[in-house]
Amino acid sequence: MDKPVLDPIKLEILWNGLRSITDETFAALTRSAYSTNIKERRDHSTAIMDRSGRLVVQASQALPIHIASMSGLMACLLRKFGDAINEGDIFVANDPHTAGGTHLPDVNMACPVFADRQLVGFVCNIAHHADIGGIAPGSMAGGMSEIFQEGLRIPVIRLFRKGELQQDIMDLLLLNVRIPEERRGDYFAQIAACRLGSQRLREVLDEYTVGFVLSAFDQIIWRTEQRLRQVIAEAPDGVYRFEDVMDSDGIDTFDIPIRLTLSIKQDTVHFDFSGTAQQTPGNINVTMNATQASACYALKALLDPDVPNNEGILRVVEINAPKGTLLNASFPAPVAARAHTCQRIVDVVFGALAQALPERVVAAANGANTTAVFAGIDPRSGRHYLYLETLGGGIGGRPAKDGKDGVQAHITNTSNLPVEAIEMEYPLLVEEYSLVTDSGGAGEFRGGMGLRRVVRPVDHRCTFNGVGERFKHQPWGLQGGQAGASGRFLIRESNGETRRLDDKPAEVIVSAEQAIIVETPGAGGYGAPRNRSREKIMLDRISGKFSDAYIEEHYRRQPHHE
Amino acid sequence: MGWTLGVDVGGTFTDFYALNESTAEVHVGKWPSTPSNPARAILQGLDKLSRQHNIQLEKAVQLAHGTTVGTNALIQRKGGKVALITTRGFRDLLEIGRQIRPHMYDLNQDNPPPLVPREHRLELDERVSAGGEVLTAIEQEQLDELIGFISPDLDACAVCLLFSFLNPDHEQQVAQAIRKKTNGKMHISISSEVQPEFREYERFSTTVLNAYLQPVMTEYIEHLQHGVGAALPRAKLGINQSAGGLMSAQRARSFPIRTALSGPAAGVVGAVYVANTASRPNIITLDMGGTSADVALIRDYRADVAYEREVAGFPIRLPMVDIETVGAGGGSIAWFDRDGLLKVGPVSAGADPGPACYGRGGLQPTVTDANLVLNRLSTAGLLGGDMALQTNLARAAFEPIARKLSCSIEKTAEGVLGIVVSNMVRTIRTISVERGYDPKNFSLMPFGGAGPLHARDVAVALNMTEIIVPTTPGIVCAQGLIVSDMQEDFVISQRTLLDEGQTADALQIVAQLLQQARAWFAQEHVGTTNHSLELRVDARYVGQNFELEVPIAQGTALSPASLPGVDRLRELFFAAHESTYGYFNPEDAVEIVNFRLTARAGRVRPAAAGTSAGVKPAKPVREALREVYFEDDRPVQTSIYDRQKLIPGHVVEGPAIIDQLDTTTPIFPADRAEVDALGNLIIQIGGR
Repeated sequence: MDKPVLDPIKLEILWNGLRSITDETFAALTRSAYSTNIKERRDHSTAIMDRSGRLVVQASQALPIHIASMSGLMACLLRKFGDAINEGDIFVANDPHTAGGTHLPDVNMACPVFADRQLVGFVCNIAHHADIGGIAPGSMAGGMSEIFQEGLRIPVIRLFRKGELQQDIMDLLLLNVRIPEERRGDYFAQIAACRLGSQRLREVLDEYTVGFVLSAFDQIIWRTEQRLRQVIAEAPDGVYRFEDVMDSDGIDTFDIPIRLTLSIKQDTVHFDFSGTAQQTPGNINVTMNATQASACYALKALLDPDVPNNEGILRVVEINAPKGTLLNASFPAPVAARAHTCQRIVDVVFGALAQALPERVVAAANGANTTAVFAGIDPRSGRHYLYLETLGGGIGGRPAKDGKDGVQAHITNTSNLPVEAIEMEYPLLVEEYSLVTDSGGAGEFRGGMGLRRVVRPVDHRCTFNGVGERFKHQPWGLQGGQAGASGRFLIRESNGETRRLDDKPAEVIVSAEQAIIVETPGAGGYGAPRNRSREKIMLDRISGKFSDAYIEEHYRRQPHHE
Repeated sequence: MGWTLGVDVGGTFTDFYALNESTAEVHVGKWPSTPSNPARAILQGLDKLSRQHNIQLEKAVQLAHGTTVGTNALIQRKGGKVALITTRGFRDLLEIGRQIRPHMYDLNQDNPPPLVPREHRLELDERVSAGGEVLTAIEQEQLDELIGFISPDLDACAVCLLFSFLNPDHEQQVAQAIRKKTNGKMHISISSEVQPEFREYERFSTTVLNAYLQPVMTEYIEHLQHGVGAALPRAKLGINQSAGGLMSAQRARSFPIRTALSGPAAGVVGAVYVANTASRPNIITLDMGGTSADVALIRDYRADVAYEREVAGFPIRLPMVDIETVGAGGGSIAWFDRDGLLKVGPVSAGADPGPACYGRGGLQPTVTDANLVLNRLSTAGLLGGDMALQTNLARAAFEPIARKLSCSIEKTAEGVLGIVVSNMVRTIRTISVERGYDPKNFSLMPFGGAGPLHARDVAVALNMTEIIVPTTPGIVCAQGLIVSDMQEDFVISQRTLLDEGQTADALQIVAQLLQQARAWFAQEHVGTTNHSLELRVDARYVGQNFELEVPIAQGTALSPASLPGVDRLRELFFAAHESTYGYFNPEDAVEIVNFRLTARAGRVRPAAAGTSAGVKPAKPVREALREVYFEDDRPVQTSIYDRQKLIPGHVVEGPAIIDQLDTTTPIFPADRAEVDALGNLIIQIGGR
C-alpha cells in the first residue's frame, strides 16, 4: 500500500470518531439484549469493516476470538452476494464451514452502509447466544460429533431485505432454539445495534467526504501493519518450536498434539502448525480463522498490547495449518468447544517464543474455557431454565511477577455471574466459590490459581453438561518453573463422598442431594522454585493459598541456603 | 440570617465561597491546600476570608464541605487495616471479583490486590437463601470463636454475608458480637447498611472500602469539628456526598465511602445552580483542570445519577452523580504513538514541572502551550496570577513535532487542540448519545481553569450552539456546596413481580422506606420545612439482568399510596425502556428489583443577586488588542476584555478574548457573547 498521505492529526480525530461508533454500539447491545450472557457477561463484540471486508475498527471491549468470525463472515458475504447488497439489508450467519463462523452460538450480523449511492463499509456485531439448538442445552456440551448436532446452522442470509424483516426466516431461527423469547430479544438487540451503527457511520460520512473516509480506512490498516512489523523486527530472528498436548476430544481421541514451528525473519512472522493432529470426531476442532485470531492475540499480547485490532494485524500473521487438521477443520467437523483449543494455541505460541523473548512470555495458563451448563425445569414455575457459565482459572507465572489467580485467560474475558444472581434466577444453590488450594505451579514467580465452584439443584433434579481441558495435561512452567494443577469435575453424593466425572461430561443427572464440583486448572510457574523469595513463600503460607505440605515439597531449601 | 460557607478542598487549592443569605452578598477566595492535614487550610483560609471581607464567622450558620480525604486515602492506599467476616465458602470472592482481567491484552496489568489480605478474611457457617429465609443459622459459640481470630492490630471489620440485603439479621448479629467483644473499639461496616443491594461482589467491595476509610475519616472529622467548633460555633457541618447533597459529620464517619466522588459531584451541583440562574434546564458540563476533564449531563435541572463506578481500581456500588472522566487537561502532553499518529494525554505535565511555557523545566508540548502559541492565552498568565507564560519556550516545545508533521508551529498547536477536543467529545458522547440524548438540545457549561478555553471546539463538534460560562468558573465546586440540600438515599432490594398479587408487598416496602426517611429527618435535626421526597424503582423484564431506573413520584410528603397501581407502574417502565432503548414489549412480565427513596431537607434559597438590566449599558471597553489564531491560518486582531468589568447586558462580539482571575474565554469570530442578569456569559455560536 501507499505511503501515508493523510494528515495524522485529522486521521486521529476521525479514528476517534470511528472508535466512538463501535463503543456506542457495544454499549447499546449490552443494554438492550435480553440474555444474561450478553448483558452481564458481555460475550459480544462490535466492529466496522470496509467494503472489501477488512476489519477497520473493533470496540475496545471486543473479544479477541470474535475478530476472526467477523472477517470470516465478510469474506463469505462478499463472495455470495457481491453486487446484490442493498441499503437496508441486514445479513445474519453463524456457520463455521460455510459462513466464516467459529462456532454456532456466535451469531454474526452485518449491515451495509452506503453514501453517495456507493457501498462504503459494514457495521457488524457478534453475540454469543446462550442456546442455538442442537442435542444439548446451551449448544456447548462435549461429546457432539458432527456440526449438525451442535445446533442450527445459518449460512449467510438476509434477515432484512431493503429494510424489511424477513419474518419467515426469523420464525425459522426461533423455532430451532430453546427459550425462543430470550433469543428473540437478543436478535432484536443485535439488529438495533446494526441500525445505530449504520446511522452513526453515515453521520461521519456526512461530516467528511466518502473519499477521505475510504482512504482513512486504508491508512488505519496500513499504519497498524507497519507498527506491528516494527516490533517484530525488534525480536530476534530464528526458528522456534514447541508442542503441547490436548487431553481429549470428548469422544474417543486422547492426547492430541498441537505442534508449532514459528519463524521470525526481519519483520515477518510465520506460524507453521504442520504435525498437529488430524481433526477429531469430538468438538474441540478449530476453523482456520479462529486459529488466526488466537495467533494474533498471542503476538499482540507479547509484543504490543496496545496495537489497534484491525486487518493490519491479520496481514502480518502468516499461518500454515494443513486442511483437515485440528486447527483447520473441514466439514462436518464439530467445533462447539473450540475455545479450549484456541487457548492452547496461545500457550503453544508463548512456549515457542519463550526461547526468543524470555523476558516477555508467561508460563502456560489454565488453557481451557471450563464450561458448566445446568439445565432443568424450575420447580417454582414449571418452566425450563438454562444456566451456562465459563469459568476462569490461573494465568502463568511471569518474568517478574506471580501469575494471576482465578481470572479468564487470553482469548476470552467474560465476567462471572454473581452468586446472588444465579440463585435468584435459577433453582440452584452455590455452596462455594473459591481458589483451589495448591493449584498454582511452583516457581520463582508462581503460576495463578484455579477456581472452585460447588453447585447443587434445589428441590429438583437437573442435568449437568461440562467441558474441561488441561484436566490431564497440566499447565507447564517455564525457565524451571513447575506445572500447575489440572482441573476436574466431581459429583458429591448424598453421603458426602465425591466421585470424579469425565472431563467432558454429558447429560449427568444431579439430584437435590447431590452437588457438582467444578475445579478449573491453575497455571505454570516461571523460574526455578529455589529462587522464590522468602517473603513470597511466607505469604503463600500465611494466606493459606498453599498448604504446608506443598510448600515443604516444592520450596524446601538446599542445605547451603539454610 | 448569617453566612453560609462552601469549602472545596482540591489537590492544589482550597476554594471558598461565602454567601450572606439575607443580603445576598458573595465573597470567594482561594488558599493553598495543606494535604497532610486539610483542616488546617480550611481554618486558615476562613480566617483570611473573614478578615478580608469582614465576615463574622461566629454568625456562620452552615459550613458545607467537599473533601478528597477519602478519595486520596484510597488512591494512596492509606486507609485502615481491615478484617472481613463472610459466609463460609466465599472468602475468595473479594479477590476473584468478576474473574476478569483489567486489560484484554496486557499480560502485566493486574487488578489491585484486595484491601483485606486473605488471612484476615474469616468464614462463618451461616446461610440465607435467595428468598431471604435462614438456611443455616449462626452458632453463637462459633461466632465468638471466630471474632477471637480477628487480629488485635486491625482497625476495622467489614461484615459481608450473602443475601444480607434481603435479611440483615445475620450481619447485625455478627456486628453486635464484634462490638461486644471489642468494647466498641473497632470500626464496623456491614454490607446491609452500607449498600443493601443485590450482586455480592460489588456490595462486598463497597463495604470493605467503607471499612477501610472509617478510621481515616473519623480522625479527619474529629479534627475538623474541633477546629470548626472553635471558630464557627453556630455553624452546622455538612459533608458533600458523591450523589450530591450533604450528610452530617456523623454519617460521614459511618459511611465515608459516600465521599469518594465528593469533589467532582460538588462541581455538578454548582453547575445545576448556575443552570437555574441562567434558566437553562439542559446542560452538559465540562470541568477541565490541569490533568483531566469531568463531564456530566443535567436534564431538567437534575444531574443524572449512576450506581456503579470504579474508584482507585475498585468497584463501588452507590448512588453517585454520573460523571465521566477523561485524561484531558491543560497539562496533557502531546506525543507520537508507534503508528505515527499524534496523541494527547493521558500523561500530564501536572503542576510541576507543568507546561513548557511555565519555565519550570518542562520540555514537552502541552495543551496549555498550544493555547499560548495561538495567543489565546495571555503571556501575562491568568489575571491576578503572578506567573508570566513564556511563548518562546512553548514554541520550542512544539518545534520538533511541527517539523515531524511538516507543519507550522501554529498549525501543529491547532492540531493538538483538535485531538484533545476529540478525546473530550468522545467522552461526552458516552454520557449523551450512548444514553439516547442528543447534545444539540443541551447547552455546554465549561468550568475549571481550562474548560472555557476549549468549550467552543467541543460545542461545534457536538452540534451544540450555546455555551454558558459561569461567573467564577474556577470556584463552581465551592459554589455548589452552599446550595446543597441535606440528602439521604434509601434503598430496599426486593424482587417484586408487577402483577396484582404483589401490590401489598410493594406498599409495605414503600411504607418501610418512608419510615426510614422519617427517622432520618428526626435524627439529623433538619427541621420540618422544605422536606422533599423522591420515589424511584429499578425495574426490568423478568429474565433480564439489567435494571432501569423509573421515577415514580416526588413531593413534599409521600405516602404508600403514592405508589400507583400495577398497570401504571408497567406503563412507567415501558416509557423508560422506550426512551433508553428505543423499544418495549408490552406483553412481557416486569419486575421491580430495588425500591429507592431520596430524602432532601432543603435550605432556604438566596434571592437572585441580579442587577436590574433595564437600561442597556454602554459598550464594554477593551483592555488591549492582540493577534490571536482562531480557525484560520492567519491571526486576527482581537480585543481583550476583563471579565470583572463586564456587567449584565454587555455584548462582546467575536473575535475577542475575555480574561478573568481563574480562566480565559475566547470568543470566536462570528460568535456573540452576552452577560446575563446574573453575570453568566452566554455565548451563541454564530454562522452554524
